[in-house]
Amino acid sequence: MKSESDERAEQLTRRQFVAASALGGMAVAVGCRAGARGNWEYLTDGQAGTLAAICDQIVPADQFPSASQAGVLTFIDRQLIRHFRGHQDAYRDGLEQANAMSRNRFGLDLADASEEQQLELVSALEHESNAFFELVRTHTLEGYYGSPRHGGNRDAVSWRMLGLEEPPLLGRAQYDLRKGSPS
Amino acid sequence: MNRYVKFAAIAVALAVALAVGGVFGASWYYTSQHGQGCANCHEMADYVGAVHASPHRNVGCMDCHEASLSTKLRHIRVHLMGTKPEAIRLRDVDVLAMVPNCQKCHQKDYAAWSAGPHSATYSQIFADPVHNSKRRLMDDCLRCHGMHFSGPVRDLVQPQNAQGPWHIIRLGFADQPTMPCQACHQMHEKDEPQTKPAKRFSVAGPAADSSLAYFDRREGMHFAAVSLPIPQLYEGSRPVKMNQDARQSICYQCHAPRTPDTDTPAAEHHWGPQVASGDDRTPMGVHEGLSCLSCHIGHSQNTTASCKTCHPEMSHCGIDVEKMDTTYANPQSKHNIHWVKCTDCHQHGIPKMKSASIAQANAQPLDSPTNN
Repeated sequence: MKSESDERAEQLTRRQFVAASALGGMAVAVGCRAGARGNWEYLTDGQAGTLAAICDQIVPADQFPSASQAGVLTFIDRQLIRHFRGHQDAYRDGLEQANAMSRNRFGLDLADASEEQQLELVSALEHESNAFFELVRTHTLEGYYGSPRHGGNRDAVSWRMLGLEEPPLLGRAQYDLRKGSPS
Repeated sequence: MNRYVKFAAIAVALAVALAVGGVFGASWYYTSQHGQGCANCHEMADYVGAVHASPHRNVGCMDCHEASLSTKLRHIRVHLMGTKPEAIRLRDVDVLAMVPNCQKCHQKDYAAWSAGPHSATYSQIFADPVHNSKRRLMDDCLRCHGMHFSGPVRDLVQPQNAQGPWHIIRLGFADQPTMPCQACHQMHEKDEPQTKPAKRFSVAGPAADSSLAYFDRREGMHFAAVSLPIPQLYEGSRPVKMNQDARQSICYQCHAPRTPDTDTPAAEHHWGPQVASGDDRTPMGVHEGLSCLSCHIGHSQNTTASCKTCHPEMSHCGIDVEKMDTTYANPQSKHNIHWVKCTDCHQHGIPKMKSASIAQANAQPLDSPTNN
């Protein structure tokens, strides 16, 4: 036989359980929305703007697209939660430093500076924070010249720039097994 | 014990309520905001952002994409476990499930495609005794016939020999199209919705619709038509006049020429890819310089009455061009319409009077409809 106090405790616990479940569900829903990062998987929109300014000074647009136009940011962003996970801190600190340098020199975020100012600042970054600059430069080139399947090199633009056809044209050999094996 | 049974019952009831509510709620949520709900999970934000800049901006995700209970549960699992792949790709079954949804809005194009050769099914292509007894089945066949099929050809058709009989072994694929809409179209490409122009207008050159793109099986992604190469082909050592219509760059991906085979004069002299080699159908002879789409209607590939576009009257010889001895009039003819030349019939030279009329025709302005 259960006592009255036992039953009350059991009811209370059941209510708590239901309430906790509902709260948990709400937390998951709210958490999903709070975790949204615009169009990026790791970068914030602000960091992406700063990184685009740096990448576009490394590979600027001419008759072919610039680094950001060719999807290099997508490449770096995807890899920052995968193969480049170990570089997350370097990117976070480096982009913050680049923006701080820009604000000190021009009173503007790097993304809002003129192209001439961006070039000046990225040149300064190369000397003052060489390790970060080299990291971004390496990743920019990997994204620009790597396989389009990883997010960069949109429509294989850099390969066409180098004179390579992509996808390659491959016609079939016209043979008939009944007349002998194909050469 | 009783207490645990009650907890378990409540937990099960909650799970069922959440699942049922979640499925119907998610369907309502996704469809009510033109995909904004889908974008709340950041994995989808890129794709939803792209479609919102495309001609399909007013179409909801689930108007095109299949979203069964198992699909939704899979998405939730991937989201919660953080196991999202580097790039989100549709599975082969998802692509095929989309095709009837394209039909809902694009009925005329769908009907034309259904009536043409590009709607060939897996069974028609891969269980064809005429082909399979002559040529080997290989994974590369899937590059053009089944570019969305996810496995190797041995998972699609058996036996892998020249004796047969051949059967499609992938369940549910036998009657599915090998070249669905997504073979040549990408739906999320940035562009304005198409509207009927206030008046007819002409353009200087053929325009390539932004949705035109080739799905490359090796990279698992689309390449825009304007970014694809149009090869320079040769007839012997002579460069062939190539039409630069960007739309036909998709055609060249499958109707492709071959690098000259060894022991051929073209290979010996390094002349480059030869016209009519491999699966190439580049026009030559009297039709040199034309685009594939000068004669073939995009979705059906139909060429009926196409001759009249450029030949409103009789030919220079006074014969109706549609009744000449070419593969247009008779597929068994030895004069392939793609490569037919004046000298095919006038083997001893074109008669003088006819030469004069040809010279006169060639002297006409380029925009003359009889010039071709």
